[in-house]
Amino acid sequence: MSKRRGGQPPEFRPGAWLAGTGPEHDIAICTRARLARNLQGYRFTPRLTEGESRELYDFVSSRLRQPGLPEQLGIVDLETVDELERSVLVERHLISRELAASKRPAGVAVDAGENVAIMIHEEDHLRVQVFASGLQTEAVWRRAERLDDALLQRLPMAWSEEFGFLTACPTNTGTGLRLSVMMHLPGLVWAEEIDKVTTTAQKIHLAVRGLYGEGSRALGDFYQVSNQITLGRDEAQIQADVFLAVTRFVQWEREVREALLRGTARTRTLDRVHRALGTLERAQILTSEEALGCLSALRFGVQTELLDGFDLPSINRALLLSQPGHLQRHSRERLEPDARDQRRAQLLRETLGCEP
Amino acid sequence: MEYCTACQKAIATIVVMDLTDGAVTGSQHVCQACAEQMGIAQPKLPPKFSAELLEDLLGGLKGGRSGGTRPRVEACPGCGMTPVEFRTKGRFGCPRCYETFRTDLLPLLHRIHEAQAHRGRLPARAAPVEPAAEDPSLLDLRRRLEDAVRGERYEEAARLRDDLRRAERGEESSR
Repeated sequence: MSKRRGGQPPEFRPGAWLAGTGPEHDIAICTRARLARNLQGYRFTPRLTEGESRELYDFVSSRLRQPGLPEQLGIVDLETVDELERSVLVERHLISRELAASKRPAGVAVDAGENVAIMIHEEDHLRVQVFASGLQTEAVWRRAERLDDALLQRLPMAWSEEFGFLTACPTNTGTGLRLSVMMHLPGLVWAEEIDKVTTTAQKIHLAVRGLYGEGSRALGDFYQVSNQITLGRDEAQIQADVFLAVTRFVQWEREVREALLRGTARTRTLDRVHRALGTLERAQILTSEEALGCLSALRFGVQTELLDGFDLPSINRALLLSQPGHLQRHSRERLEPDARDQRRAQLLRETLGCEP
Repeated sequence: MEYCTACQKAIATIVVMDLTDGAVTGSQHVCQACAEQMGIAQPKLPPKFSAELLEDLLGGLKGGRSGGTRPRVEACPGCGMTPVEFRTKGRFGCPRCYETFRTDLLPLLHRIHEAQAHRGRLPARAAPVEPAAEDPSLLDLRRRLEDAVRGERYEEAARLRDDLRRAERGEESSR
């Protein structure tokens, strides 16, 4: 078990969510399994005193350091990590925005490949997350289950026969399993069919959220599709439901993309892609929202072969670097929003190799 | 608690009143979905499920309670959370809240999950990965704590919990 030196987050790598591998990865970018778990004998995180928070954090982190877990995890103690590094962790989807803002003793246990991240002291004492690139609901669930088995051996979790795993919010009660797939759906957005996707998802008890989860906007045409129901259905059924729905949404996106490349729609689509490229090549000021929109169009253009000369790894790297935390860390200085927008325009030209 | 007069299935969260010359001449209780279909409520897009809807739901429960037919629920003995706080926050304070607020909880779970009972993994059913590397005295303490909680012997449970914490600290510091 290694501990990252000084609790620093890792240097730049794409991370599981932008690795660009796995089934259907062009549309279903990344799959995540998340388990909500709490320890017996303690109140839930929001109601712990400072002393109890410390005690629980120390206890959990010492148990995670014991040998024998199926994953090699290094613990990043968030108290040793400044605000900027915390936003880098959020942008890499390793911790939630809520955990980043936490004033309690808190941390995250991460593996070297950033496929596993256990948040300590989120709304629940533990939030176990497993990621895999592409559409891999079964694989992430199996890996999460194996890790959960080992955690249940070493930590006394709160549960009941009737309600399953007991969580701070009743929307997670039961399995505590939230299985989500990050989808890139520019075709459905451009064809104005995205609301139909959301409505369809709701009817089959799936939630559709933005780039950074609950309450966040769908920047860059990224949407997270996840199961809403955690009680009364077992993990295999939840997994099968999410897999089936996402497979259909992928198909839907492919059909819409084809339609956007035919007839009169093609010119509008070409125009949209080239305008985005023009902005990325020439703009001197880019907000992260505008950058994500342009990169989304560029990604679409490359995948549909409307554009060549760009590779997907560069675009994925640009997506990550355009985020405020990564942008500032890459620049090795803290920047005010105006300076950030200027630096972003420059950095994206360099990253994409389109310096005029 | 009122059921939706339109679909007869969901719990009504919206009251539509008919007004004639400023006087209420009739009313209809409907759920959010039917209200949206009738065009009298804004659809919630993108969906913000947990926080907002929970507040609606819990507000609905609060309304249903005004009839005074349910037993009065006191604060949770595990964490001191009051029924009002539970309804406002939509969050539990501790695992014991599940028993304390059970009466409110069952319809709420049904509304969220269309189910009231767990199916799936539990620690007891989870496959063993490795022999537990746990001190037998800790295991024993933990078992007694669970027994005490199940038997609602809370003073004993609190004492056992403190013993357990002390034992765990001792174990960690000796490493």
